Amino acid sequence: MITIKGLRQGLLIILGEGAWHDTLRELEARLVNSANFFKGGLVALDVGAQSLAADDIERARMLLSSFEVRLGALITQDAGTAAAARSLGLGPTLPAPADPTPARRTAVAAVRATEGVEPAEAGLPATSVSEPLDGGTDGILARRRVRSGQVLRHPGHIVVIGDVNPGAQLIAGGDIIVWGKLQGSAHAGALGDTGAIVGALVMQPSTLRIADTQLIQTGKERRRDAGPRVARVNADGIEITIWQEK
Amino acid sequence: MQATVITITSGKGGVGKTTTAANLGCALALRGQKVVIIDGDIGLRNLDIVMGLENRIVYDAVDYVEGRCKLKQALIRDKRAPELYLLATAQTRDKTAMNPEKMSALCDELRPDFDFIIVDSPAGIEQGFETCLAPADRCLVVTNPEVSSVRDSDRVIGLIESKEKDRTTHLIINRLSAARVKKQDMLSVEDIQEVLSTAIIGVVPEDESILSSTNKGVPVALGGKGAAAVAYSEIARRLMGEDVPLQPLQSGGFLQRLFGRS
Ligand SMILES: Nc1ncnc2c1ncn2[C@@H]1O[C@H](COP(=O)(O)OP(=O)(O)OP(=O)(O)O)[C@@H](O)[C@H]1O
Ligand SMILES: [Mg+2]
Repeated sequence: MITIKGLRQGLLIILGEGAWHDTLRELEARLVNSANFFKGGLVALDVGAQSLAADDIERARMLLSSFEVRLGALITQDAGTAAAARSLGLGPTLPAPADPTPARRTAVAAVRATEGVEPAEAGLPATSVSEPLDGGTDGILARRRVRSGQVLRHPGHIVVIGDVNPGAQLIAGGDIIVWGKLQGSAHAGALGDTGAIVGALVMQPSTLRIADTQLIQTGKERRRDAGPRVARVNADGIEITIWQEK
Repeated sequence: MQATVITITSGKGGVGKTTTAANLGCALALRGQKVVIIDGDIGLRNLDIVMGLENRIVYDAVDYVEGRCKLKQALIRDKRAPELYLLATAQTRDKTAMNPEKMSALCDELRPDFDFIIVDSPAGIEQGFETCLAPADRCLVVTNPEVSSVRDSDRVIGLIESKEKDRTTHLIINRLSAARVKKQDMLSVEDIQEVLSTAIIGVVPEDESILSSTNKGVPVALGGKGAAAVAYSEIARRLMGEDVPLQPLQSGGFLQRLFGRS
C-alpha cells in the first residue's frame, strides 16, 4: 500500500512493507497512473523500518526522476538505511526554501508556491499538514495571487483566494476552487478521481483537466463565461455550468 | 549617506533594462543624486556602450572583486553629471566571477558613498538574475506591452516575492505606443496592471530618439527633450520620493490619452 500526503515543502510518499523490488513496482504503477500529478514535484520517501542499501535508494531515485520527480528526502527508522541515504545526500526532511515570507502568509495554511516547494510553518511539524477533522478532507488554502511559473500541488484539495495567472499551475488530487480569476492551468482529480470539480469566480483556464479528461475549448467560451462557473466530468467530457446551489 | 540599491530586471531579454538603467542613472544624477550604475550582465558589456563610456574602461567590477585593483580605480566617472559613476562588467565568459554574495558585498561597500546604486541585470531568471537581485532594496521590473513580456515579468515578480527579503517592486512599462494600443495589437496599461497587480512607477513611450542616442552613447535623459526623456526624469523624481502623478489631467498629452478613459 502506498500513501501520498501533502507536505508544506512538497509531497510525502509512504511506501508499504515488502520486498523492495515489489515496492518499486507498485510505486512505478502509481507514477504511471498519475504522471501529471507527480511531474515536476519534490518528494520525501518514507520507507518505514526497511533496511536499504545506497543502491536500493538510488534505484528509487532513478525511478522517480524518470517521471520528472525529484527525491529530496528519505525518512527511515533504520540506522543503516539513514546512513546509506546520507551517503547520497538525502536527509530526513525536505529542504525548506531559504526564504519564508511570514508577512505575506496567513496563520491558517497560507501557502507560497515556489515550484510547489513550501516552507515549514512556524509551530507546525515540517513534515505534515494537519489531519482533517470529522470527515472533512485534506487540502491547502493559498491566499494570494499565483503567478506564472508557480505550481501548487496537493493530493487533497486546493483553494486559492486570489487570481491564478496565465502560466501558473494548480494540480490537486481532489477539487480546485479559485475565488478569483482562473487563467492558468488546473488539473483536479489528478490521482484519478473523476468526481472532482473545478470551480472559479471567473473561469478562463488555459487548460483544464479532471482526472484523465481534458476540457476541449472552442475559444468562444472564454469571453462569454463571466460569473462563477463549475466544471465537472459527465458522459461527454467536461461540462462547465453556472455555479448555483441546487 | 546610505544608498538605495535598485535592481532593474525583466525576465525576457531585449525589453529595455539597460536603456532604463542608463537613463535613470543619468536622470537621478542630474537631480543632484550621487549615483553608480553597475553592469550586472557579465560577458556582454552593454551598459558602457549605451553610456558612451566604453573607451574609458581600465578596470571592471570583476577586477575589483578579484583584487586586481582598488574600488576607486574601477569606478568610471561620467563627467556629464555632477556625481555619476559606472562600474563596468567583465568580458569574461566565466559567469561565476560574480555571485549573490560577491554582489551584495560590493554594494555594501559602495552604499556609504552614494544615494543610488543601480544594477542592470541580464535577461533570464538564472544565476545572473539571482546575483543582481541579492543586494536589491527595490526592484524595477521592465515590461513591454506584449503578452510574452508580461508573462515573464509575472514570473520574475513571483520570484522576487518568494525571497525572504521584503522589497518594493515597481513596474516600468517600456515602448508603449498609444496608436498601437488603440489598434489593439498592444496590451494597454490597464491590461498589464490587471495581470501583474504591481504598482506602475512609469510608462516610457516608444521613442525613436532612444535608438540614435544609444548609438551615440548619449542617453536621452542627458538633456533630451523627447517623450522618453520626460518619462525618465519623472521616474527619477518618483524614486526620490516626490509625488509625481502618473496622469497629468489637463495637459492633453500622451499620458492622458493613455489613461484618460473616463
Ligand atoms: N522606449 C524605447 N523606444 C524605442 N526603442 C527602445 C526603447 N527602449 C529600448 N529600446 C531599444 O530596444 C533595444 C533593447 O534595449 P536594451 O538593450 O535596453 O534591452 P535589455 O533589456 O537591456 O536587453 P538584454 O536583455 O539583451 O540585456 C535597444 O535597441 C534599445 O535602443
Ligand atoms: Mg541589457
